[in-house]
Amino acid sequence: MSFLDIDERILKIVELVDLRATPITDLKAPDVDGVTVGILEGGIANTHNEHTAIRMRERCKILVALGDCAVFGGVPAMRNFFGEEAALQRAYVDAESNDSEGKIPSSPELAQLTRVRAVNEVVKVDIHIPGCPPHADVIFYALAELAEGRIPEIKDDMLHWH
Amino acid sequence: MKATRSMVLVSSDPESLDMGALDVFNTLQQQIAAFGLEEEISLSMISDVSKKTQNPLVLVYPDAVIYGSVKPEDIPHIVEEHLYKGRVVAEKQISPYDLTGQIAWLSARKGTLPAENRIVLKNVGLIDPESIDDYIVNQGYEALGTVLQEMTPQETIAIIMNSGLRGRGGAGFPTGLKWQFVASTKNDKKYVICNADESEPGTFKDRLVLEGDPHAIIEAMMIAAYAVGADEGFVYIRGEYGLAISRMQKAIDQARAYGLLGENIFDTGFSFDLHIHAGAGAYICGEETALIESIEGNRGEPRARPPYPTTAGLWQKPTVVNNVETLANIPAIIRNGADWYKSIGTPSSPGTKVYTILGNVNVTGLIEVPMGITLREVISIYAKGMKDGASFKLAQTGGSSGSIIPASLQDTPMDFDSFSKAGVSLGSGALLIGDENVCVVDLAKVLLNFFRFESCGKCNPCRIGNKRAYETLVNISEGVGTLKDLDDLHMLSQQLYELSNCGLGQTAGSPLYDILAHFRAEVEAHVKLKVCPTGVCPMSGRRVYQIV
Amino acid sequence: MIKLTIDGKTIQAQEGSTVLEAAKAADIFVPTLCHHPQLTPYGGCRLCMVEVEGARTLQPSCTLPATDGMVVNTATDKVLDARKFVLTLIFSERNHFCMYCPVSDGDCELQNRAYDEDMTHWDLQPNWQPFEVDASHEFIILDNNRCILCRRCTRACGELVGNFTLGFEERGANSLLVADYNVPLGESTCISCGTCVQICPTGALIDRQSAYQGKETEVDHHIGVCVECSVGCQRDVLTRDNRLVRIEGDWDAELTHGLLCDKGRFLPLEDDRSRLLTPLVRKDGQLKAATWDEALDAIASGLGKAQGLAALASTRLPAEDLVLFKSIFTDGLKAELVTSLEEGKSTASVAKLAETMSKSFESSLDALKDADAVLVLELDLVEEHQVPGFFIKRQIPEGIKLIVADGKDNRLAAKAHVRLTLTAGEESAFLAELHKALEGKADDEGINQAGALLTSAEKPCIVYGKTLAANADEAALKHLLAVAEALGAALIGVKGEANSMAAAQLGLEAPFTPNGYQAAFVALGDENPTQKLTKRLEEIPFVVAQAAYYSQLTANADVVLPVTMWAEQAGTYLSLDGRLQKFEKALDAPEGVLTSHEALLKVAETLAVKPDTDWKASLTKRTPTVEIQAV
Repeated sequence: MSFLDIDERILKIVELVDLRATPITDLKAPDVDGVTVGILEGGIANTHNEHTAIRMRERCKILVALGDCAVFGGVPAMRNFFGEEAALQRAYVDAESNDSEGKIPSSPELAQLTRVRAVNEVVKVDIHIPGCPPHADVIFYALAELAEGRIPEIKDDMLHWH
Repeated sequence: MKATRSMVLVSSDPESLDMGALDVFNTLQQQIAAFGLEEEISLSMISDVSKKTQNPLVLVYPDAVIYGSVKPEDIPHIVEEHLYKGRVVAEKQISPYDLTGQIAWLSARKGTLPAENRIVLKNVGLIDPESIDDYIVNQGYEALGTVLQEMTPQETIAIIMNSGLRGRGGAGFPTGLKWQFVASTKNDKKYVICNADESEPGTFKDRLVLEGDPHAIIEAMMIAAYAVGADEGFVYIRGEYGLAISRMQKAIDQARAYGLLGENIFDTGFSFDLHIHAGAGAYICGEETALIESIEGNRGEPRARPPYPTTAGLWQKPTVVNNVETLANIPAIIRNGADWYKSIGTPSSPGTKVYTILGNVNVTGLIEVPMGITLREVISIYAKGMKDGASFKLAQTGGSSGSIIPASLQDTPMDFDSFSKAGVSLGSGALLIGDENVCVVDLAKVLLNFFRFESCGKCNPCRIGNKRAYETLVNISEGVGTLKDLDDLHMLSQQLYELSNCGLGQTAGSPLYDILAHFRAEVEAHVKLKVCPTGVCPMSGRRVYQIV
Repeated sequence: MIKLTIDGKTIQAQEGSTVLEAAKAADIFVPTLCHHPQLTPYGGCRLCMVEVEGARTLQPSCTLPATDGMVVNTATDKVLDARKFVLTLIFSERNHFCMYCPVSDGDCELQNRAYDEDMTHWDLQPNWQPFEVDASHEFIILDNNRCILCRRCTRACGELVGNFTLGFEERGANSLLVADYNVPLGESTCISCGTCVQICPTGALIDRQSAYQGKETEVDHHIGVCVECSVGCQRDVLTRDNRLVRIEGDWDAELTHGLLCDKGRFLPLEDDRSRLLTPLVRKDGQLKAATWDEALDAIASGLGKAQGLAALASTRLPAEDLVLFKSIFTDGLKAELVTSLEEGKSTASVAKLAETMSKSFESSLDALKDADAVLVLELDLVEEHQVPGFFIKRQIPEGIKLIVADGKDNRLAAKAHVRLTLTAGEESAFLAELHKALEGKADDEGINQAGALLTSAEKPCIVYGKTLAANADEAALKHLLAVAEALGAALIGVKGEANSMAAAQLGLEAPFTPNGYQAAFVALGDENPTQKLTKRLEEIPFVVAQAAYYSQLTANADVVLPVTMWAEQAGTYLSLDGRLQKFEKALDAPEGVLTSHEALLKVAETLAVKPDTDWKASLTKRTPTVEIQAV
């Protein structure tokens, strides 16, 4: 949402970059021969996320972790106090909205829950943009710098939590 | 312990073995036996001499003679001429200067092998520690009498300064200088404290003195008190040393009854009283300012220094804090003089040191020898070699916070300056000898666990850093370590040294630094290959997060 | 003075300063966490490390004594790396979630230090080990997840307050902040002074009432004197949108340096009495809302008919109001009784003595700070006037000798070296004995012991309070003065409310018995009237009350004028030891409510009285028991 708060400035960025993959476009993974910048948001909460992070690291020259979840683990990381088992049990069996047939789904196709981790606990990250969420101005600044071929330096007021 | 008079070493590196070193060794053994010299000559193999063109080598020492290109047929002649009759066989002799630095110093070494010389442990095991009369009969309280009746405080300090005695608790600070600092600080109340908290794992030298010769400490503390102007003292004994506490208390009671403690001792106007303070299971209370805090009834946390205890110690008064072993030297120095003391040991580190030998060797225990003995001598002569014929892999000198040294540093003389020049720490003199079955990761893990557990918690780097280092080592030993972990460990070892508030934190990083410096390949095998070369580490593949 | 170089600048510093103090004096910022100007430097957090030429390792600037010729660098790469390392370690030790912490974004020193180092992420991840949140205390929440183990709270609880409730259990990474021997804070020996909450750099110790109500950096601050008792500590009253958010001590205050007690810090925010918002006039036996004019008319008519007027004013009112009050009722209306609600109990006897002797004999509270022996007479400094009690308690480990003489249960006596019994009414005999005890000649051994302790002290101090002032006759007081003189001891007389001393200076000390007064005027302000007072007023036919809150007293009155409470009015207060301090208004009063001062002026106008409003002169007319100085 904060991303959208960049408002019309987003058009300027779109002109400068070649958007190769996003979760909502047809191409969901970066090209095999690599891209310049990869932006990851969200923490690493399951095996699928791990693969995504590793693949992004392999294929992106510059990897950006956007938002507190990606940088620190964020709110989902609170599940680490209880463990994956307890979290699954609560969600699928014990929750008040479940009926008595509640069962933890188990299918080989489903990603396995892991400890929630910051992205930099799994792969090396080049740029961290903290914030819950990061302010739109900060996101715009970072994107603009990257689009112009520079590494953004997040500091002073851009770093302060709002 | 009886010492042999000569040590003979045969090079056993691969080249030497190829050239028949084993035959040379066996022949030497036979010949030494044939001449009846087994009790006097110690024979062993040495694996790290590099001198490719003149292998195998036979080194005789302390003569500092090296024979090169030795064949089994040369042996009977060498044994008869050199070992039996004492005449060097010049034709087979080669120059030591061609050899690696480790052995080159041999040429500087002359004289007899350092035999045991008991000063600190003079009475231990020979007198009844619960009898003050036994102590007195064995020159006990003679030094005190001399000091109180014939010397001024300044003269007393001068003798100790001239003797070159350095603290035996680990820091090696010149004792006379410490006393001088306290003596020159003006205050109408001063204290003398004996640090008997001996909690360094593997060290039990102080225990022997406390249990076997407690009056030596009382006498020494009184001499110190007279020298600096103190009238009250504490012996801080670790709580686990029940026997030491009861024997020391008995000794104090006996001394009081004899008028040797209390008011107006020997009618000289000098008064001194002594109390025991028992510790309660904290290694950190061996640090002098944490010890002082503990006596004051506070949490045992080291203070910010400066000021040092010599200016503001117990209850903010000038205080001398000395280790048990240091104090045990004092009466002898007073009785025999500074020159006598300087004649033993090395110029920079006079006197003897009680070394504790531990680990995979045949004979473990305490020895008291002049300072400057090498690790190799300790292992070969006193410890009678590695157990079960295993080979020497590493030693940890100076207790848990000491250095882990590889075989290449075995010949460094163990005195304060040589060790410090080589970048290793002598510490309390505990020598933990490890053979090839010791895993360096496991060793570091055990050590870091100890520091993590004993950290007082005052400063962040030690409290948190030790725990993180331990967790990282656990993960490496479970096979889930990464190369980044090794960088983290290296960084932790640097920052622990740079930022910690006291010696515990500052030296906790040493094992980390040492294993990465001297045994990096073995550590990397755990991480890159997920293999523990010695088979010691569990390598379960499970990552550990919370260690409570 | 010594000279040293920091970051290339040559700096002069006082002998005995630390490197940190020298840097601060030269405006060079060195980050700290465990350091606080009011506490002895600890050297625990290792954030303030600096490079010192010639030293083996980095050195902690907060504890390192500055020496002549020292060369220090505070911004080398090594130092910056060390700072990031220390902060990284701290963040990884416990659970620091800024997102929903009340001190985030401005009030958290840990977060601010991380921002200073431009930290965007953590190089070491936390262990996710959950810690206890202790919410058992009425005012304070202790969240161990946010604790950075800086020990500021523990050190403050000991060094500043002398209560020693907070401590640390276990050691190393298992160290835990605990109360007493690890009991819930709400069940501990905590006296709710709140110093720990104020001094905590993170959100580990927070105050329930004000959490999430407003950030220090965003609220309005009003520094002024506390009005809850006669000590007069300096406070910072935080407000936002015309609401009280939080009350804190003023670290820069000369006497108290940030200390407050629960009465000054927490209890004022718990006041949930109903406000009076309009004037009320009794019509047909019922109190009904009225306009100011209607109420003033009713006052004029009621007072005009009365024979015998008793006028009483609360000693919580500012000095300006008390002077105005006296001017109206004594000089203007010549009322038969003009007094304060305290009726001089805590001041009359001693004030009379000062007047008779024409000299002041009490000392400043400062004398307690370096006293080495203190005799406390019939006063429980743990229950009331707590901050002077802190000055005493915190020196007990330093060796101060405490003697407490009381006939009632006295919590301070529990910490005393000598405890004596002194029943109210026996003051004269006791003090006579004490005088003899100065030469060891008293009959009672305990009193002799006390005498010995006091004579051997270099800076003895004697503290007494309301009970002694109320019960001691002139003979007793003369003994007291004689003892103090013989010892060269400082005498400190603890009074009652914020302006007891001002009331004494104005002679508002007469006792109040409803002997046939036909009318009474009670300037109650925001005081909570006692049952005794309310009962006595029931005997008086016509009662006018100026009050901020509803009470039985106002319910019984005939005319009620709504006035401001303490935060809505500015004023001057005279403390027990003569300090004249101000309070500036912090809140706007509700519409239609006037200050007591404005209401009194209106009353004066209605009764055609021209009062004198030069309050400064009035306060110094009488010889005070202690010298008065403006602060």
